[in-house]
Amino acid sequence: MKSSKFSQLPKDEQDWIDAYLDGTISDGDFDQLQDRMMESPELREAMRSYLSLDHSLLQLSDAIVPETESATGPWLQTESAPSEKIARFPKSFIPIAAAATIAFLTGSALMYWNQRNGEIADTAKETPSANGFAVIQNLFDPSWEKPANIRREGDMLGAEVFTLASGTAQIQFFSGAIMTVEGPSQIELKSAWEASCREGAVRMKVPPAARGFKLQTPSSEIIDLGTEFGLVVRDGTGHVEVIDGEISVRHRGEEEKILKQSDALNLDPNSAATVSQSGQVTFPDLSRFGSRSAEELTSSFQRWERHRDVTAQDPRVLAYYTFDGPNHTIVPNLSEPRKPDFDGTVILAEPVSGRWPGMKSALEFRRPGARVRVNIPGTFSAFTFACWTRIDSLDRRYNALFMGDGYERGEPHWQIRDDGKMMLSVMVDESQPNPRSTDPQSRLHKVYFSPPMWDMSMSGQWLHLASVFDPASRTVSHYVNGEKVSSQEIESLFFVDQLRIGNGEIGNWGEPFRKDPNFAIRHLNGRLDEFTIYQSALTDNEIANLYHRSRSDLK
Amino acid sequence: MPTETEEDDRYEGFVASFTKYEPDLRRFIRSLLPTWTDTDEVLQQTAIVIWKKFDQYDPETHFMKWACVIARFEALAYRRKMARDRHVFREDILEIMADEGIDELDSRKIEHEALETCLREMTEKHRKFLILAYTPGIKVKEMAEEAGTSAASYYMRLKRLRRKLMECVETKTQVPG
Repeated sequence: MKSSKFSQLPKDEQDWIDAYLDGTISDGDFDQLQDRMMESPELREAMRSYLSLDHSLLQLSDAIVPETESATGPWLQTESAPSEKIARFPKSFIPIAAAATIAFLTGSALMYWNQRNGEIADTAKETPSANGFAVIQNLFDPSWEKPANIRREGDMLGAEVFTLASGTAQIQFFSGAIMTVEGPSQIELKSAWEASCREGAVRMKVPPAARGFKLQTPSSEIIDLGTEFGLVVRDGTGHVEVIDGEISVRHRGEEEKILKQSDALNLDPNSAATVSQSGQVTFPDLSRFGSRSAEELTSSFQRWERHRDVTAQDPRVLAYYTFDGPNHTIVPNLSEPRKPDFDGTVILAEPVSGRWPGMKSALEFRRPGARVRVNIPGTFSAFTFACWTRIDSLDRRYNALFMGDGYERGEPHWQIRDDGKMMLSVMVDESQPNPRSTDPQSRLHKVYFSPPMWDMSMSGQWLHLASVFDPASRTVSHYVNGEKVSSQEIESLFFVDQLRIGNGEIGNWGEPFRKDPNFAIRHLNGRLDEFTIYQSALTDNEIANLYHRSRSDLK
Repeated sequence: MPTETEEDDRYEGFVASFTKYEPDLRRFIRSLLPTWTDTDEVLQQTAIVIWKKFDQYDPETHFMKWACVIARFEALAYRRKMARDRHVFREDILEIMADEGIDELDSRKIEHEALETCLREMTEKHRKFLILAYTPGIKVKEMAEEAGTSAASYYMRLKRLRRKLMECVETKTQVPG
């Protein structure tokens, strides 16, 4: 029995509610609204319905970044064209967009930081990846005039100017439109539906769902009415050609012109638009670009497959997980001879694309409970941990890579602190207090930190991380992308050489001894695509080799 | 001391329930507080308390109702420490909104489903406008500028569409008689 309707409220009450929702209500009106609410159960109920609608809209708009077609929600599809293909976002960027959206929605990441930590908030503000409406899907042989222009594959782009000195970039707008840009060029991105080409050559591919995408030149506005066109702007003068489909062009104050396939126009800011011949200009070629980059990927993937086989045969390897099996609940330990007992169990971590999209999957640990549980019995004399990870953000104070459950004598904790420092520690003796700590709960152990190696600008990039705990040489070292970033001595007080793992977790901590979620929840907001534990200390060279043999890019 | 398995179960239970009900819980908190930032802050606090008290949760009872009671308390606590000049409901109103809201959880679900149908029935242009307006990270001011209109007229349009949707939802959820 629904009796209290928003539409039946007095007009002043309706206006107050809208103003309250938009944050524009005046003090006086807010007081009146509250007085009226106290008296009127109808107003209260209508208000709850209306606020709930606001929430639903936000929630449903989030679904515009669909993981699968069904998740799109039927209401996003065009009613007029059920047979048309709905633009589907390529898998490669979904997680980035989703991560940003989720950070926004749950408020657990960026907003949380912004309020608590001025320093990090500043970084986040400068980082285009925090908010955006487009993503760099591919970069081929790029060069940049200055460091501030540098963007990487997977970077999110917001309202900004994208300046490419040379090379080719493919930008995917969240409307579904794809722009291929060849340097030198300067593109101003305005929204998911609009951009301006100040200089350079672009090719736009606009699927039905993104129809209406606007591209401006210094003197004209081009609206894509479907499929594909090319534009070159040199010194303010544009040349546009329809490759397939139809566009509408409005040059200066002139009447709108419709161009069809093979039509071309010159757009001189100092004169009227003139019909031109097509085929005079080469536009950035998506397919050539795609195939070359696919070749690169294939060759590096084959190199990685060889690396995988070598690693699996290495007798020093305790456990080797590549997270790409067909089974998403068990990750097999690939080290030979096979020990199925060392296989990992996947809990809530989700299969996603890895360093070679389409060729190899990875696991994402975005959800607070996500982890891979392992059990590795035995006593060891050293540890080397190595992994490929793509961190979306460091949401927690501590972000787990690998954590021994109980953190008892000889058990390791390998993690990243929210300031971007890698941490490796091994419990020396949990029955003794830590003389170096003011926290009475702290037990005898020492955390070895690397210098900060990660910040928000690296969100979404794949990184090779490795850390070595070597009692024999009394050193703990950290490595990023094959290079040693720090090395510290193990003092006698903290010496431990009977190392163990037992029950442990990749990507989270299974048995926190304090239950406060700030302390206990340590899932890694990111992906892991390969994870190796060695029972000995690898040398600097070996770690550099690991990185080179297993990396996915050739550059 | 709970055993290892009990701890694991507890943790799994917490994560499963919380993940499942997070959107609804957020919707509930949103009805009590003026902004999304406030909402998320309280949601975060609520999650912490739910985790701490998860032992006390009786699985026979409705998780969402139990969580709402915690959220209600957290919203009140949050309200008390907030600056006075913000447009946060008075304590008595916040309480009554929460209490009545807890009894309406089912209505919210029905309305949400109706809304999906209503959106589908809208014109594509309007739907796109709304989606974009509600896409996280999109600033109204920027969108208005792009559209070549003032922020005020943009808000007008948003308001009109939102009200139209509300009317549609109300029609669809109306019980005859």
